[in-house]
Parts: sequence; C-alpha cells; structure tokens
Amino acid sequence: MLRKRGLIICYSILTVAIIWSLTPIVWMILSSLKVEANMFSMPPVIFFRPTLGTYIYMFTEGGFLLYLRNSLIAAVVTTFLSLILGTLGGYALARGKYKRQKDIAFWVISTRMMPIAAAIVPLYLMFSKLHLIGSLFSLIFAYTTFDLPFCLWIMMSFFADLPVDIEESAFVDGATKWQTFYKIVLPQVLPGFVSSGILAFMFAWNDFAFASVFTSPDTQTIPIAASLLVSQTGIQWGQAMAIGTIIVIPMLILGLISRRYLVRGLTMGALK
Amino acid sequence: MKYKLIKGIFSKKGDRIRRMKNGKDQKIRIRIRTEDIMLAPSIIVLIAVSIFPTIYLLYATFFNYMGSVDKPVYIGLENWIKIFKDMEVFNSWKVTLIYAFVSLTLETIIGVGIAVLLYTIPKARNIFLTLWMLPIFVAPIVTGLLGRFMLNSSYGLYAYLLNLIGIKRDLLGSTGSALLCVILMDVWEWTPLITIVVLAGLEAMPTAPLESAEVEGATYLQKVWYVMLPLASRSISVALLIRAMDVMRFFDAIFMSTAGGPADTTKIIGLRLYEVAFRFGDIGYAAVIGISMLIVTTLLGRIFVKLWYSGGGEYSA
Repeated sequence: MLRKRGLIICYSILTVAIIWSLTPIVWMILSSLKVEANMFSMPPVIFFRPTLGTYIYMFTEGGFLLYLRNSLIAAVVTTFLSLILGTLGGYALARGKYKRQKDIAFWVISTRMMPIAAAIVPLYLMFSKLHLIGSLFSLIFAYTTFDLPFCLWIMMSFFADLPVDIEESAFVDGATKWQTFYKIVLPQVLPGFVSSGILAFMFAWNDFAFASVFTSPDTQTIPIAASLLVSQTGIQWGQAMAIGTIIVIPMLILGLISRRYLVRGLTMGALK
Repeated sequence: MKYKLIKGIFSKKGDRIRRMKNGKDQKIRIRIRTEDIMLAPSIIVLIAVSIFPTIYLLYATFFNYMGSVDKPVYIGLENWIKIFKDMEVFNSWKVTLIYAFVSLTLETIIGVGIAVLLYTIPKARNIFLTLWMLPIFVAPIVTGLLGRFMLNSSYGLYAYLLNLIGIKRDLLGSTGSALLCVILMDVWEWTPLITIVVLAGLEAMPTAPLESAEVEGATYLQKVWYVMLPLASRSISVALLIRAMDVMRFFDAIFMSTAGGPADTTKIIGLRLYEVAFRFGDIGYAAVIGISMLIVTTLLGRIFVKLWYSGGGEYSA
C-alpha cells in the first residue's frame, strides 16, 4: 500500500515503538543480573559480566520459595475452579435457552468489571468475621470474583460460536448431554479453554491489591514480596528487579502461547 | 388456586410436593435439565462472590468501623452525607477523570496508529506485534516498580536520558510531572491492547472497500481515514470501554510508584478508597466510595453489553 519512502517511515515508527515497549523489560532483566555497583552507575553500564547472585540469594536465604508456593497455590486453585465451573456454566448459558439469559449475562459481566477497591471492602469484613484473613482460602475466594465471571463469559462466547448440528446428531444417536458435552463439544473449544485458563491464571498471579490485604507473612505472594522490598529507607533494587523478572517472564511465555485468543479474552469475547 | 405449596423441597425424583385443599399430597413433576445442573454451581458461587459482597458493601455504608472492625457503630446516613462535602474524594474523582481521559486519548491515538501501520506490512506484522504487545503481560505492580526505577533521579535510565536533554527534576516526586509519569506508565502497558484489538478488527474487515479505494486512486492517508478507521470503529469502542473499566479496577501501578503523591496529584479514586479503608480504618466511608465506583462501572458495563450483543453481524469486529 505504501511506496518506498512511506515504508521507511512506517518501519522507523514501528522500531521506535518497540524500543519504547521493550526497554523497561530488558532493563529490568539486565539489572537483575548485575552486581549492585553496576546497577546504579550512570551513564549506564551495558556490557557487564552477568551474575545470578541475586537469584541464588533469593532462593536460598531470601525465603523466596514460600512466596512462590503461595502464588502458585492461589493461582492454580482459582484457575482450576473457575475454569471448570465457568466452562459448565458457559455451556449451559449458551445452549440452555434461558429466558433471562441476557440478565444473567449482564450480571456476570458486571461482576467481572467490579473495581478491586470496591470488592476488597466487603470481602475484608466477611473474612475478618470468619477469621479467614491471612489464609490462602481468602485469596482464592477473592480471585474467583474476577476469574469465574471471566471464564464463564469467555467460554459462553466460544460455545455460542459452535454449530448446534453436531450436538443434535449426537443426541439422535442416543448420547446424553454430558457425553455430548465432554466428548464432542469440549474438544472443539480446547484452545479457547486453555487460553482462558492462562488469562485467569495471569490475573491471580499478577494481583497485588487483594493479596496486600488478605495475606499474612505465611501466605504472602510474589507481588507482595516485591512490595516488601520498598521501605522508608530505600529499595533493594537488585532483588526487586529479580522478583520482577520472575513475575514477568512466565507471563510473557504464557501470554504468547495464548496469543491467538488474546483479543477475545481481553475484550471479553466482544471481538473475535 | 386449589392447592398451596407447603414444601418447597425436591424429592428424589425431582418432584415437588404440593398439598391439595382436601389434605392429599400431590406430586408435580418439575423438569430439571442437564443445563440447569451445569449452571447451578456457577450461579451459587457467583452469588457468593458478587451479590452477597455487594449487599454487604451497601450495608457497611451505614456503620462506623473506626473503633473496631468487629463491633461497628450504626451511624445512619452520616457517611453518605460526608462524601458530598469531601473535597479530597472530589479531587480523587477529578484525578481519575484526567488520568482516564489523557491515558485513553494517548492510547487510542498511538494504539490505532500502530495498528494501521502493522496492517500495512503483512509480512513483518507478526514479529513487530509480538514484541510490541509484551508490556500487556507485565504485572501492574512491576510496572510501578519499573517506573520508579527508570525515573529515579540519581540512577534511573530514563531520568538519565532526560537529563542529557536538560530536563533535571525528580519526575515522580514533583507535582507538575507525577501525574504525567503515571499516565505514561499506563500508556506503556496498555496501548498494545488497543493495537491488538483494532488490528484484529482491521484483519476481519472485508478487503473490497480498500480495493475499490485503490482503484479510485486514493492516497494512503485517505484510505486510512475513510476506509480503515470507520470499519474499525466498533473494535475501538470496545477496547476503550474495557480500558475505562480497568482504570477503575486497578491501582497497583500508581500505588507502587507514587502511592498517590505528591500532594495527592496521582491519587485516583481506587487508591483513595484503599487508603481510607486500610490506612485510616474508616471502612464504612470507604464503602460509600466503593458504591460510587460501582455505579460508574455498572453504567460502563451496560454500554459494553449493548456493544457485545450488537456484534452478531457478518464479521463481528
């Protein structure tokens, strides 16, 4: 569509854009591999001998494994629950011909859009009444407020896209609805199922706000560990950058895996 | 009515038992479909995670929790009256509005621009897009941490570069620049979202209008303005709504980089609520702020659902 000069302009703009979006991430990873002396020198040190010292310290003396364990439990359990319930519910909503389907749908979406700050307050009151503050259960419950409506809605949009004919012919052949569901329907939406799971996992893994209120030293997650490095006296940047890297890298990989359905996931299925 | 319902329970077979006026029980068959069994767990959990907390939030607005969280004092409408006179909350809404407006404007312009450019180069599109969208996956708390690191006046990379062109100040620490910095952090993280959404819209549009524009000798910019953007307008609105709701949802990045300072210039409403509740312990008042936020997001949600259902056309982008 463009001639040569136009193309050059086009590529230059895109290159600048990519430098802008990558610099902080690359800088974070590089800084996590530096010794403190290099980290703060300006003009910046670009060539240096990388060291894994910070990471080794975190995993041995820093007690990082506990945070990792908590993060994984909270995120995995929430994702698992939301995905199973959401997939069943999504299928029912897409196929069940409910009269109030639109109302239920609106309810689901408003739950998904609930501001975290507004959700924290009643959950905090509930959990403190039940003495659940500081338990991983409270965290899982809080993440479900987002992840369940998210999975339900996205899976509903995937099921609604499938032609009904195949399911109907399965019924004719004598299959029950459950058999049809997991033998015929589920395999067709498997990629969507996996990417919704990834995005649900990502929300729980990346969360800071809920975890800052609902966790105690035993149940703190990795983002809390990152925030704990910031204190009145200063910030331990070496560890902060290493923790940042550990939070971000798995999500970059998972995000790219789920790329094909990313638009759908991020727009709640409004766009495909 | 000849009979009235006396037991609302289901018997084993899913029958409902009704007692007739003459004293005899009558079984009435209620069909429970497989779909209902599939939907029920989600509905039950959703009630627990959404309806119940919302009611509790409303209930909490009538109490004062300052003394003790377990034994709140009923104070009627006091919290509600307070919010209308509270200049700090008003200021936070103002900051939220500016924050949302400026970041969404920048994100739309840059995001759509990049999407159009990427659409122009089919061959290299994938690799550029992949690299461009990485910030989306960065946890907001890490974005805040990075903003703080990169902008630190003594060892931040960006601060150093700005220093070279003569801008010497504590960027996150001064009232004039802090809001702009947190806006740029949001722009950094979320502009790619607009891009991928709009690009998906462009890829889904029919090529015929573009081809006929080509035949009629339209320039590149004319094609962008008159053909591509109108066709992508729905995806732009969807992306903007999602972003608007997320501005209300999250406050992690600002919490981490400026904590709302200096002088409350970056204290968006979510952050204000968080502080009122968990730093000052005024949970009842925080609940009122929460309700006001819920009203705004519910309105946005309504528009979103309308847009969602309007997408059933030929190409839903």
